[in-house]
Amino acid sequence: MDNAELKVELEKLHSASFGWALSCCGRDRGEAEEVLQTVYLKILEGKARFRGEANLKTWLFAVIRNTAISEHRRSLLRGLRLTADREPTSEQASLYEAPTESLERSETEAQFQNALKTLPARQREALHLVFYEDLSLREAAEVMRVSIGSARQHYERGKKRLRETLGQTDIAYGISWRAKENPGAV
Amino acid sequence: MELVGEQKRIQALFSELRLADEQTAPRFTAVWNHAQTRSSRTWRPARAFNFSFVAATALLICALVSLALWSKYSQQNARQAIVVVTGNATPGTVPVEVVKDTAGDPPLSERGRDRAASRSRAKRLAAQRRALMLAINLKAAREAKAISNWQSPTTALLKSQNDELLKSLPQLSESANDLKSFLTNTPK
Repeated sequence: MDNAELKVELEKLHSASFGWALSCCGRDRGEAEEVLQTVYLKILEGKARFRGEANLKTWLFAVIRNTAISEHRRSLLRGLRLTADREPTSEQASLYEAPTESLERSETEAQFQNALKTLPARQREALHLVFYEDLSLREAAEVMRVSIGSARQHYERGKKRLRETLGQTDIAYGISWRAKENPGAV
Repeated sequence: MELVGEQKRIQALFSELRLADEQTAPRFTAVWNHAQTRSSRTWRPARAFNFSFVAATALLICALVSLALWSKYSQQNARQAIVVVTGNATPGTVPVEVVKDTAGDPPLSERGRDRAASRSRAKRLAAQRRALMLAINLKAAREAKAISNWQSPTTALLKSQNDELLKSLPQLSESANDLKSFLTNTPK
């Protein structure tokens, strides 16, 4: 696959990649974008090469995951210096959230995100890959670099724990949320 | 049934999350172009000046220098010890090799001279070692002799005039005169 073809494919997967990068970076948009940029840079420089051994999506997601982990490690080492570097410049500001993007998140969504944050990383990853990215468990296992049995275990445990957490926070999904968004629908 | 409902609920929550993320996701072209811009800056000073590599190299150099200094210092100490020990030994016991000067050797080629120098150095070291052992042995022998000849300073105080009497015994068959003569020191 040449670079032009790869670029087209990457563009198709861009929003899903960004969602996955967000999940890997603990929902930090700036960091997710930085990771995605680094991934594209790796692809451009040939440091990450798709050899067709796996599905492009699982390969790309594995690269994103590894990059996010290494970036996180680096940021831990660099500490405050990195946070200073990551301050958005005027040039970069356009890439980050526009004022319209700072729309109010519904209470349900916020609670759901909080519930996701309470999950262990592996369980969160498994749930995200299956529910958000519509990957099969086998593909999720490939991305997470674990066996399918292990991925299944993370998935089941994550689901159970998420149910419990959501039950505790008592989210009335589809009623309070939709009532707020569209009062006529309820 | 309830489990399926829960699963659908989770699926729906994730779908909502995905929709929200898609709305706020940065444009692909913008991210790609930024990556390309970063890629065009191939020469990065951070790459040229790798701090960890420099630190590791500095550490290695420090270790090597300290090792060299330590070995030099220990050699000097050893030489000093040899000089002290051989200085205590009698002049005749110092081996000839130690005194022998290599300056009198015939001139050689560069490589030959190097080899000869290393050989003479090895010889010198061996001779020094031998001299050291010899000196130690001599010292030990002298100490052993001194110990065997040692006398207590109070031995003289234990001596008396009647030592002879104490050393011999009178016989039963001896006459009274003999006994008197035996008791020479008694007042008559």
